[in-house]
Amino acid sequence: MTGPPVKKSRVGRRRAAAGLALVLLAVAAILFPVVFSSPVITNYAIYALIFIAVVTAWNMFSGFSGYISLGQAVFFGSGAYAVGIAAREWHINGVGVFALLPLAAAVGAVIAVPFGLVALRVRRHTFIVITIAVFFIFQLMAFNFSFTGGSVGVAAPFLPWSPTTFNDRFYYITLACAVVAVVVAVLVRRARFGLQLRAIRDDEDRARGLGVRTMRVKLAAFVLSAAITGLVGGVWFLYLTQVQPPSGFDPLFDLALVLMAFLGGLGTISGPIIGALIIEPGQLYLTIKYTNGYLSEILLGALFLAIVIFVPRGIVPTTGEWLRRLRTRGRPAIPPAPAAPDPDPARSGLSGGTG
Amino acid sequence: MRPHPPWLSRNYLALSAAAVLSACLVAACSSSSSSTTGTAKATSSPTSTKPITIGASLSLTGDFSADGQAFERGYQLWASDVNSSGGLLGRQVKLTILNDNSSPTQVQTNYQTLFASDKVDLAFGPFSSLLTTPSASVAARYGYALVEGAGGAPTVFASPANQTAHNVFDVSLPIEDELIPFVNWVASLPPGQRPKTAAYPMADDPFADPPVQLAQQKLQALGVKTVYSKIFPAENASYKPAADQVAATGAQAVLLGSTDVPTVAAFMQAFEQQHYNPKMFICAAGPDQGAAFTSAVGKGNATGMMVPNGWYPGYANAASQKMVNEYVAKYGGSPSDVNADVAEAYSVGQVMAQAVTGTKGTDNAKIITYLHSGVTISTVQGPVRFDNSGRNSSAAAFTFQWQQQGTAFKQVLPASASGSVAIINPKPNWTS
Amino acid sequence: MARQIYQAIVDGILVGGVYALMAVGLTLIFGVLDIINIAQGVLVILGAYLSYTLSVRIHLDLFLGLLITVPVMFVIGVVIQWAFIRRLRGRERTSMTLLVTYAVALIIEGLLYEIYGPNPKQLNASYVQSSVHVFGFYLSYIYLYGFALAVALVAAIYLLLYRTRLGRSVRATMQDETAARLIGIEVNRVAALTFGVGVGVTAAGGMLFGATNAFNPNSGYDLISRLLAIVILGGLGSIGGALVASVFMLTLESLVDIWSPQWAIVVFYAALVLVLVIRPTGFFGRPPVRAQ
Repeated sequence: MTGPPVKKSRVGRRRAAAGLALVLLAVAAILFPVVFSSPVITNYAIYALIFIAVVTAWNMFSGFSGYISLGQAVFFGSGAYAVGIAAREWHINGVGVFALLPLAAAVGAVIAVPFGLVALRVRRHTFIVITIAVFFIFQLMAFNFSFTGGSVGVAAPFLPWSPTTFNDRFYYITLACAVVAVVVAVLVRRARFGLQLRAIRDDEDRARGLGVRTMRVKLAAFVLSAAITGLVGGVWFLYLTQVQPPSGFDPLFDLALVLMAFLGGLGTISGPIIGALIIEPGQLYLTIKYTNGYLSEILLGALFLAIVIFVPRGIVPTTGEWLRRLRTRGRPAIPPAPAAPDPDPARSGLSGGTG
Repeated sequence: MRPHPPWLSRNYLALSAAAVLSACLVAACSSSSSSTTGTAKATSSPTSTKPITIGASLSLTGDFSADGQAFERGYQLWASDVNSSGGLLGRQVKLTILNDNSSPTQVQTNYQTLFASDKVDLAFGPFSSLLTTPSASVAARYGYALVEGAGGAPTVFASPANQTAHNVFDVSLPIEDELIPFVNWVASLPPGQRPKTAAYPMADDPFADPPVQLAQQKLQALGVKTVYSKIFPAENASYKPAADQVAATGAQAVLLGSTDVPTVAAFMQAFEQQHYNPKMFICAAGPDQGAAFTSAVGKGNATGMMVPNGWYPGYANAASQKMVNEYVAKYGGSPSDVNADVAEAYSVGQVMAQAVTGTKGTDNAKIITYLHSGVTISTVQGPVRFDNSGRNSSAAAFTFQWQQQGTAFKQVLPASASGSVAIINPKPNWTS
Repeated sequence: MARQIYQAIVDGILVGGVYALMAVGLTLIFGVLDIINIAQGVLVILGAYLSYTLSVRIHLDLFLGLLITVPVMFVIGVVIQWAFIRRLRGRERTSMTLLVTYAVALIIEGLLYEIYGPNPKQLNASYVQSSVHVFGFYLSYIYLYGFALAVALVAAIYLLLYRTRLGRSVRATMQDETAARLIGIEVNRVAALTFGVGVGVTAAGGMLFGATNAFNPNSGYDLISRLLAIVILGGLGSIGGALVASVFMLTLESLVDIWSPQWAIVVFYAALVLVLVIRPTGFFGRPPVRAQ
């Protein structure tokens, strides 16, 4: 059946090491603003965390199922507008606005249902273009309706905190969002649900033939991804203090999600995290650094090309490859069958065949 | 069945490595990694030779890049003029301009960098009302005054940040009233000469709509019939259908709520194709962009086109003339080619300069009080005096018109204002 | 009111012709290489700038200039395909092509900004502003010529696809790439040539766009989403479908424009979603083959 029996202690040690790394990471994340208290740095961190959360949510649907969606901004912007409009209509100022965040998540989820029911009936390129079309419909609706403020958009209440406090509080809020997103993604991946999603990605027709309720599975992942994205959209709105149609529904936002997930590794858990960590602060910083001109655009394009050509499977899977190669260096790929003489030919045949 | 979930070790290893890496990267990004209180720098420097640093974020690339670059030139021209005449309070002025790529996220990051990392003394505003609101919030939190010249939409002044901190100061003309001179001129014509019908196509933009809508109200009260009044999307791939609809109405006056040259050019082209020539044609923006306008539509066609503004290159103001000549000397072209954005940016500098000399320092809180004290400051755009909301209540709206085969940009309204020349009416037919 | 409707229909057809020229290249690339070319918007603008340079520098007539810009863009297309697209394979191919074409778009846009600056330009010629009076309507020459050119190019591509050996190879690759390879078709060469043709045709679309709109390097972004909608509606890979879909969509939008320009664009995208729900392959698309 399997290869040579695995020592339980080795598994236990590996698990312990992973757990320790996790704890260290958590501590580092919590202490981050204390150590790096400059608002400039926490600002980068906040945007990085926002993108970590959204890319993880996006990946939870698109990476796992293979349906590349360029409409995630629909939920992001809707969440932002939901918080803004609610704050305006219900006259909520000050800290109370944060209580509206669950509303943002709910709005995202609710929008995803009809959106998904329509879009998930088609595949691949057609799906991509439908998500683009719905995205533009939402952006245009934001422009056209008066309750969304038209081209002016909606402004968030002013929170009179000092810059450091403001950024620190938003850091912890976005950190919480990112943690929620990652935990949900992990749970999905481990569950049978995640397996069903991946089956859909590999071969949808066969999955359906094997009894997977594809529409339900896809829709559930879509809605979940939308809820998280809506929530983060609401947080972003409160941080930036305004939302307007072109910024709440920004087509480049969607492309950035694809890039970040791709860089890290589509379909993995840590891939989106790494992709977002590298690209978002990088982009903000490079625009400041190379402030003159269009050179930065050309460089950015060249960078994307380099990423796709040299790291085509993403950083995390590629790193995994290297690690595996390191770990198994010197050992043959297929462990040789035990040399001990065995009187039962049937049993040795079994063990030699698989492995 | 593998001994352990395969993603466990590589994920966390990679993750921790990346997290540490990113933390180092981010820390390296900022020049100051130690803590900062982040509130505005209160005192002026004890040593009088330290330069005064001014930070601004501009749209040097992206949607607003043509205007952003013109603004940059204006700011820089002002800074070099100030420095060559001895600086402010004896100190040289040092400008730090960051590119925000016309993106609100970047704008916010830029201003946080300027305030907390570069620790600039003063701040100039970005380009466009859309980007001014998030900038104002950041500035309010850090206690900076935001003097700007391109965020004139009502929402800027109504934003929660400005309502709380009163830190936004727009040196340019508030936009709602900019078509009033035109309306007044129409009212001054004998009833037989007034246009009987008018069309109001407007781009969906907080800058373009309020003035046209106000003008529509007033012209309707005068008896000018509205035959077309619609809002079209600001990012339109084809203006032809809307323009053709306007042409089909045969309206005698067209008030176009435009935000840029391509919109105006598209309408003009469609009108020409339809052999439709309105007697009066005024646009909210576009014809005020100098050479960018005439090169896109052709000089002959530009004749007769009108646009409201607070400034034009021929403005008979000594400082303005000097600025125009310097600009032409440095960048070429003729005076009429100078973009109005340059003057707006230059005025921002002048207002800030007087605030600094008036308060004898760079204390932003004092500057805010000073600017709200009712003081009148003279700039290349004329007098500036701020009201409680940060609007320039002294700004006079003028209307300008291209004349002499598109080579001269002249002030025509108010007709009684000094410097106004005769208005060309009706608009000549399309050439070419 | 009736006059408004007729005017709207006429406008829709004429502008649809311009869009068809821009969309044909995209659907061809889609059909054969199975990729979404996000750079198409910027390539249109590149074609416009090329025509602009020829027109301003050597005063060459816009249509004559096509004799130069089309081959130049053809070569550019072949180079892009060979350098970047050719090696994209595997399960993540969809997202890879999205990113690569987006990267190419960024680079081209940046270069255009560097060379030409951000100020808008427009192509000019005697027939751009003038029009002919027909049945009480003014039909401007440039749109008429553009529509004629669109029809001519669509016919030419049909001829290419159905009467030449290259065309047969292209169609075979469209239907089933593996099988095409098996019968000896040099799929890589077909892909490169097709990409080149797609981009070359876009040069004509660019010239028409530049003659009917003021443009700057940023103008490509608004275009690409509409072009994508048009080609999906027409059916991926269907040249005639692109023409029909362009005219249909633009006419629909033009009609709604009478009532409200703001909602006209929404109708554009909503119509797309509606049609796709009813008929997922668009007007003339083929049913999807199993992924290769």
